[in-house]
Amino acid sequence: MKRRDFIKTSVMAGAALTLNFDKLGAALSSNSMAVEQVPDMVAIMGGEPEVMLDKALNELGGIGNYIKKGQKVVIKPNIGWDRSPEMAGNTNPKLVKALVKKCLDAGAEKVTVFDHTCDNWQKCYETSGIEKAVKEAGGIIMPGNDEKYYKEVQIPNGVKLKSAKIHEALIEADVWINVPVLKNHGGAKMTCAMKNYMGIVWDRRYFHQNDLQQCIADICTWEKKPVLNIVDAYRIMHQNGPQGKTLADVATLKTLIVSPNIVAIDMAALNLFNQVKKLDLEAVAHIGRGEANHLGTTNLKSLNIKRIKL
Amino acid sequence: MKKKNYLKGVRVLLALLFFIPILLFFVDFADLLPDQTHVWLQVQIMPALLGSMWIALIVQLLLSVVIGRLYCSTVCPAGVLQDLINWIYGKCRTKKNGIRRFSYHKPMNVLRYVLLFFTLVSAFSGIASVALWLDPYSNFGRIASNLFRPLVIWTNNGLAEALMAMDNYSLYQVTVSTVTTAGFISGIIALLLFIGLTVWRGRLFCNTICPVGSLLSLFSRKAVFHIAIDPESCVGCGLCEHTCKAEAINSKDKTVDMSRCVDCFNCISVCAKGSISFTAKQTKKVEASVQPVRQEMSTTTNSRRTFLATGATVVSTLPAVSALAQALHQEECQCGDDCDHANCSHKHGAGNRQGHKNRKKWLPITPPGSLSIERFKDLCTGCHLCVTQCPSQVLRPAGMEYGFDYLLKPHMSYLNSYCNYECTVCSEVCPTHAIRPITKEEKATTQVGVAHFFINRCIVHTENTDCGACSEHCPTQAVQMMPYKGTLTIPQVNPDLCIGCGGCESICPVRPMRAIIIKANDVHKQVEKPKQEEVKEIEVTDFGF
Repeated sequence: MKRRDFIKTSVMAGAALTLNFDKLGAALSSNSMAVEQVPDMVAIMGGEPEVMLDKALNELGGIGNYIKKGQKVVIKPNIGWDRSPEMAGNTNPKLVKALVKKCLDAGAEKVTVFDHTCDNWQKCYETSGIEKAVKEAGGIIMPGNDEKYYKEVQIPNGVKLKSAKIHEALIEADVWINVPVLKNHGGAKMTCAMKNYMGIVWDRRYFHQNDLQQCIADICTWEKKPVLNIVDAYRIMHQNGPQGKTLADVATLKTLIVSPNIVAIDMAALNLFNQVKKLDLEAVAHIGRGEANHLGTTNLKSLNIKRIKL
Repeated sequence: MKKKNYLKGVRVLLALLFFIPILLFFVDFADLLPDQTHVWLQVQIMPALLGSMWIALIVQLLLSVVIGRLYCSTVCPAGVLQDLINWIYGKCRTKKNGIRRFSYHKPMNVLRYVLLFFTLVSAFSGIASVALWLDPYSNFGRIASNLFRPLVIWTNNGLAEALMAMDNYSLYQVTVSTVTTAGFISGIIALLLFIGLTVWRGRLFCNTICPVGSLLSLFSRKAVFHIAIDPESCVGCGLCEHTCKAEAINSKDKTVDMSRCVDCFNCISVCAKGSISFTAKQTKKVEASVQPVRQEMSTTTNSRRTFLATGATVVSTLPAVSALAQALHQEECQCGDDCDHANCSHKHGAGNRQGHKNRKKWLPITPPGSLSIERFKDLCTGCHLCVTQCPSQVLRPAGMEYGFDYLLKPHMSYLNSYCNYECTVCSEVCPTHAIRPITKEEKATTQVGVAHFFINRCIVHTENTDCGACSEHCPTQAVQMMPYKGTLTIPQVNPDLCIGCGGCESICPVRPMRAIIIKANDVHKQVEKPKQEEVKEIEVTDFGF
């Protein structure tokens, strides 16, 4: 072994150790670990967004398992469109509000929320109700409308995407939580946790030019991964996505899914979606490519899933 | 005795009352001012004339009959801007070389009335608007939107960056994307013209070039209230003449040319003897001295004669003008879209939005509410107010790409932005009603152009990968993804639903030529409102996994 390789490996091992230690520490401090195993995924149905979030996080041992005192937290919802909450074009503002509060209660130094929107950003922030929700909860809502807010990072494990400009709030954050809404999508076929990553990058054109589905799977390999994915399926847009035309595009499922495993959660979301509209896993190719990128598993049977109906 | 001069105070106050809101409205990139601020612009004479706002116009003209051209010193932002330039110049100089550098000149009646006639004739016959070049308000608009506004935005960006370090995002980064080369040059030229003429000879622009000034001069020359010099107390020191930036005071003859006086009232302040007043009295002068009165009479008749003479000349040349107009219109391509230009002598490709040589001539896309390209061309004076107010920054002043008669008029540029489905701001603020006010419902069914899809350039076809960015951004689902190979889907345009907002074109990732492009409707059309689908109750009781 060359010296350089040796150092590299040691550093990697060191990093891995710290990570493990973090998790161990988290588990120890929450006590729940000792009694029962924390599930890989929690799915809840039948409540209001904030109630379901509360239950789900309890099942996972509390927000303290994921957010530590003094940490800089970023919450990344989908705020892509100038659409009101009933239209299900964006993440439910009630969910975002409750989550910001939870993070602050857990001692987060600050909680920042942003999205690189598709429609005019100010209109999106306002019409979605998310700007108001974040401010009421004491979080910071940050613009994402200008290239100046984005910094170049390397994506060494990407197949097609090797580097990207990512919003600096995320680059500076200690942890982040991915909070997508489940929708039909004209291009990617379905948008959920993995597709929500497209709102953290500046140059989306590159994605469309270079195999959209692969680039989505590639950006998810960025080293700083969300500690949790929280899928808002309170209302889902089952057709004409991602913008939607009318309320006929919306189904109210009152469901919330939470998991750190991004491929698994998109797989679960796809199964949920299939009960409303048929959609093949093959068509939502980024999920399979994500699995190939070692981001998680589509085999939900191998996971410990906690299902709760309220 | 020196008089107390309240009039000047009132004039300055009024000037600020108009100038500050107008200036702020143009540089207000954050949309802080209410849209109603545009009322300040609808009282501007040229927009009122073109927009057929007769009440505003008649009130202004009546006012000038009563009190003279106070308009030029208060309502008109270009007038106030020149006063500011003059004031600053005066501060940098000695009194003699600065604020008192003027002297009486004869009016250039031929020039100013010829220009006025051409402006009015072109305004009513609708050729390439002379008004665009001469209108003081529009020139001010181009200075404010292309020069002042970027300065304000850059300052904002600097402050935003500083605040960002403190996690304060009340200010945010704004990209200056609406200033085009043509717009910038037009702003620079207008500003340099104003500075040059003001420094050289005060309100020379207003008294020779400006059609609004010339129009008002016809009404103000016999204004009821006017500046009068009391020949008995006047010692002929000439201070008033040297202070008069309109160069309208002849201190030798003790006369004031009210056709050029802009009611700034500086002369009243400066007269050490208190001999100058703003009065309705006529008699005193007649009694005092016959000579000056005759002088004044003669200049009046002179200019009236000139006015009539130039009028007659211009009217006699009207057929020639309209023939020219016709010729200009015919020069445009009549062969339509399907002409393949091999044997077509017109300048095809000039208006090509994508910079490709072999493309057909693409017409400019005009904003919803403008009804047709022709109508828009005839009414727009290129003040760029809509450009500054558009929240999506989709409106851009044109250069020569759509021909000389579209120069500096805004068009919808879908290079990196598109027209928001719910927005009607430009139609609300347009002072000339070149963009007629429309409701959101009207806008949602107004087709300004139609998306054209070129499958051979589409990523889905060339790369065999998913894309769908165009369909994603389509607010009416006129662009829908249809089954293609395997699980792939490819866009299809339904022209009956497309409103030409440019969502698809702005986001299409294909370069250099995009795969979906909006082609302008020269006359806007109405399309069906997207059908309301029936809302079905969907019940899901299980997770499905």
